[in-house]
Amino acid sequence: MTENSTAGWPRPIDSILHGATDYTAGVTLTTVFPRLANIDGTSAARQIRIAGAIHAGYSTLTDYPLGVVKAIPYKAHLALDAIGALALAATPFVTGQFRRGRDQWVPHVALCAFELASLALSDPTGKGDYKADVEAVRRANMEDPARKVHERGLAVTPGAAATNGGAATAAVS
Amino acid sequence: MRANVWSGRNTVQVENVPDPKILNERDAIVKITSTAICGSDLHLYDGYIPTMKKGDILGHEFMGEVVETGKGVSNLKEGDRVVVPFPIACGNCWACRHELFSVCENSNPNSGLAEKMFGHSTCGIFGYSHLTGGYAGGQAEYARVPFADVGPIKVEDDLTDEQVLFLSDIFPTGYMGAEFCEITGGECIAVFGAGPVGQFAIASAVMLGAERVIAIDHVDYRLEMARNKAGATDTINFDEDPDVVEQLKVLTGGRGPDAVIDAVGMESVSGHAPLQAIERVKQASRQETDRGAALRDAILACRPGGIVSVIGVYGGLMDKFPMGALMNKGLSIKTGQCHVHRYMKPLYEHVKQGHIDPSFVVTHRLDLGEAPNGFETFKHKQDECVKVVLKP
Repeated sequence: MTENSTAGWPRPIDSILHGATDYTAGVTLTTVFPRLANIDGTSAARQIRIAGAIHAGYSTLTDYPLGVVKAIPYKAHLALDAIGALALAATPFVTGQFRRGRDQWVPHVALCAFELASLALSDPTGKGDYKADVEAVRRANMEDPARKVHERGLAVTPGAAATNGGAATAAVS
Repeated sequence: MRANVWSGRNTVQVENVPDPKILNERDAIVKITSTAICGSDLHLYDGYIPTMKKGDILGHEFMGEVVETGKGVSNLKEGDRVVVPFPIACGNCWACRHELFSVCENSNPNSGLAEKMFGHSTCGIFGYSHLTGGYAGGQAEYARVPFADVGPIKVEDDLTDEQVLFLSDIFPTGYMGAEFCEITGGECIAVFGAGPVGQFAIASAVMLGAERVIAIDHVDYRLEMARNKAGATDTINFDEDPDVVEQLKVLTGGRGPDAVIDAVGMESVSGHAPLQAIERVKQASRQETDRGAALRDAILACRPGGIVSVIGVYGGLMDKFPMGALMNKGLSIKTGQCHVHRYMKPLYEHVKQGHIDPSFVVTHRLDLGEAPNGFETFKHKQDECVKVVLKP
């Protein structure tokens, strides 16, 4: 069984969708998010922009379909996501800026919650919602896939339909 | 009886359901001996074709033994071994009289709904959502076959089930795709998709006399089957180099293939990961119903004046359709759900004469009870899966 099926809940996000979310989040956090959260120009905005840039940065280095240089294993990427999310949530409390108002810590905690929820729905194998028991299929299979795929020998006679009069005749005879 | 039913996105299960009954005098009841999972079943499984309801019996590729016939069915009798075409066609309407069986005007009671979704209604189809009539499918022990006096063909020799089962859909579909290419001998045909329909499109192009057949996919073992069994002369794995159009031009002296067959359809995969991600997000968020990577490349690669044959299933609207290339190259597009009835007998003759052994695609033969595992294995291309046949 795959890891997602033993988690106890569906994990439909495969590595492609996870990657798309990574880049979307990275771009959003570094650009419009601080303005939308009404924290532009504060240290909170700077922290969130840095977090977004780091996120997009290690996404480009991840070994998944949307990675550019495939240096970081996908599972390590997921671990970085979790560590980064928790670090972002902790930052306002470590720096003490949480005392300056809710807008200085709520965005950090909300982003952390979003990231952790996304991780909970992401399949660590990268296969998304795959849930078959391949071993059971192998045991039950009455065919030999390797023989069918790899054994040489055409199953078709070249030109057999053409010598019978071609397409039109074959179709309406 | 046992039947494989849809019970939600990415979930099917084998349940006990009531046996089918004769509802119309042109019905027959078939005891199913073999049934298959089709690539287009995955569109239902993945949730891209709406109006599936929990408990709907899946499956439109099946064959078996007639156990009961209505009063209006004189061509079949109890005990006959039959293959059932996936389109349900009345045989009497304008479309059927012109051998356009997949657009039969009478067999889809929900044609208004289908028109809203697809732009035009298909005929009724077994086990293929309520858009195509809500007919119970053939991944079961028994099935009711409407218009049984028109559709099923009798198998009266000792060919195995696996040799004739695919006359129900994928062999005629692949053949029609190749026939659209107007092969007269010596052509170069490119086939996008080396799944089961793609394998039959390749084999059919070879049978019809194409000189070169180029198979395009991103799954190595399927490309290997295309070379070893279906007769592809060249293969392109777009995971290795995503620029399929350029590779096809290189293989054809810069001009492009004479005809290109799209045997992929609405869930096509692009080798360019960012494009793939964008299309997946758009499709998942219902901003488009059809991903178009294969069809776009087919149009861009085909030689001027060539033919683009579309047999992969599409269900609605696609973004960024390269109309300029289509028009300025003077391409012809030929497409359609297969008019299976038209092809069953001549292709059956080819099988009987040994021109093709359609069982070459079967990599998995499982008990019907294994259908949920079969769907997952097929969808995720595990265990070198190309085609799953289920035995009720």
